[in-house]
Amino acid sequence: MSPSSTTPRQVLLTSLLALCIAALAALSLWIGRDGGGPGFGFGGIEIFREIRVPRTVVGLLVGGTLGLCGAALQGLLRNPLAEPGILGVSSGAAFGAVVVYYFGFAASGSLLLGTGAVLGSLAALGLLYALAGRGVDLVRLILAGVGINALAAALTSLALNFAPSPYAALEILIWMFGTLENRSLSQVWLLLPLAVPGCLLVIAAARGLDALTLGEDTAGSLGFPVRRTLWLVIAGAALAVGATVAVCGVVAFVGLVVPHLLRPLVGYRPSRLLLPCFLGGAALTLAADIAIRLMPPGPELKLGVVTALIGAPFFLHMVLSSRQRSSE
Amino acid sequence: MKSSRGRSPLRASVTRAYLSLSLVAGLSLLAGLPARAQLPTVASINLCADQLVLSVADPAQILSLSWLASDPEESMLAEAAARYPRNYGSAEEVIQVGADVVLAGTLTSPFTRELLRRLGATVVEIEPETSLDDTYRNLLAVGAAIDRGAEAERIVAGMRDRVDAIRALAPNPARNAVVVRPGGFTIGRETLANDLLELAGLRNDVAELDRWGSLSVEALLRADPGFVVITRYRMNEASLANAFFAHPALRNFGAEHKMLAIEARQVACGAPASLDAAAALVEQMAAL
Repeated sequence: MSPSSTTPRQVLLTSLLALCIAALAALSLWIGRDGGGPGFGFGGIEIFREIRVPRTVVGLLVGGTLGLCGAALQGLLRNPLAEPGILGVSSGAAFGAVVVYYFGFAASGSLLLGTGAVLGSLAALGLLYALAGRGVDLVRLILAGVGINALAAALTSLALNFAPSPYAALEILIWMFGTLENRSLSQVWLLLPLAVPGCLLVIAAARGLDALTLGEDTAGSLGFPVRRTLWLVIAGAALAVGATVAVCGVVAFVGLVVPHLLRPLVGYRPSRLLLPCFLGGAALTLAADIAIRLMPPGPELKLGVVTALIGAPFFLHMVLSSRQRSSE
Repeated sequence: MKSSRGRSPLRASVTRAYLSLSLVAGLSLLAGLPARAQLPTVASINLCADQLVLSVADPAQILSLSWLASDPEESMLAEAAARYPRNYGSAEEVIQVGADVVLAGTLTSPFTRELLRRLGATVVEIEPETSLDDTYRNLLAVGAAIDRGAEAERIVAGMRDRVDAIRALAPNPARNAVVVRPGGFTIGRETLANDLLELAGLRNDVAELDRWGSLSVEALLRADPGFVVITRYRMNEASLANAFFAHPALRNFGAEHKMLAIEARQVACGAPASLDAAAALVEQMAAL
């Protein structure tokens, strides 16, 4: 993302997205939830600082991370179906958290749950490296990711089958849909030191990602360190996405849909897509979380459900319009 | 059961007021003076804690109960619960209720418990009841947390008396039975439901499980128990779980076995009203 490659169009888009996020963040700080459904106003200083700010910051960071990592992985793997979970990191993290629940450690606090998730994502990363580390074979990387995903999903289902009680099983299911309900500053302090370095690692690989659009062999012959780019993106995404699962579970769809929505607007260079996708992912997630709080009284909807409900119509519209374009 | 004080000062003034009131109450007790301190207020965000609070608390103490408490399919005390405001477990709405004590379950989301503590609430965690003894322990614990210890002891003593009365009427030696929950689940040994079943003079024939587990159609047909105990839950709502007995192999099962029924809500959480399940089983067996 060197400044020389920035176009006025990109600056405009980025500023618009930033404005959009500012407005959404303000709304997110202003809308609470009391017994009668949504409550408007900033609440007291304690409610503002301990409930509204953490929820907004976590939503922004989680959404941004998923958007950024989705864009980087779609660029790296040159696969439109790539999303942050494709390499098995999310499902590994979710399984790590589920193990903590399964053995009843969750009673001792959310930090242990987060640690379990981070360890799960690192284990998935280690397995990925062991399976596909030596070469730069992208197909093998995707296949290894599919395998790890399947393994983690199977182990999670196994834990569900043997859950100590129906209530524990329900908690595990909720974890798989993602939620920002009742997140506090503790989650901000867990998320920041993992997600920010992770995103920076991914951003550091931006130029390499551009080169990789020419193919691994061409990029390598042009002198780009292909293997280094590959593992910068993968390790960064593992760290950052693992951290998002650690604080709010698996949030679906953001990392898949946001790069597709923004790519037609900024062009097809992966490096130009990273920052807009961070902003776009944050905007989508904040919007979904605001929608959740505007619902009538009742248990909160799960974040992953609402991001998919909001994102899917955009996605379908995009698929339709691309079909019209190709038939013209 | 664990209890801890939050760090944040939001409701410190209320808490301080309560502490000083308890101190005054304690001192006046020491001095032999009659004193009636204001009882602490309570909010519950867990269905089983709701049942305990409704059993033990003075109605004036209860500020809010979980939304499940007033659902007659989920809660034994739905009618009583309907009088109180309901919450959906969001920290923001619970903290605004301003209760002195917040009751949560040990399986309530750890994020919720942590945030409530950060906001200065006194959160008391209730473990799920897996036996009648657990129920006694939790009733006493809730009594201690909301200054209703004497009432809790009275209730537990009443429950023990009723247990003796039910046991005197129950068949001895125990008869074989199999418990079928919706979806073909059964109960394991270490559950409140099993405790109540044994109290009623029944032995869950196929319970080789410690907690809970599923029962196959085949296992049910093979078991051929004397009694079949159905735990009824949302029976008139369409669900695959309630369609278990529609399996062709089980078509004549109801006619061939002695069927007993209890309500799922009576054994989901422990409360004095849970004993109604054991009493109902004894009554139904006597009527057969």
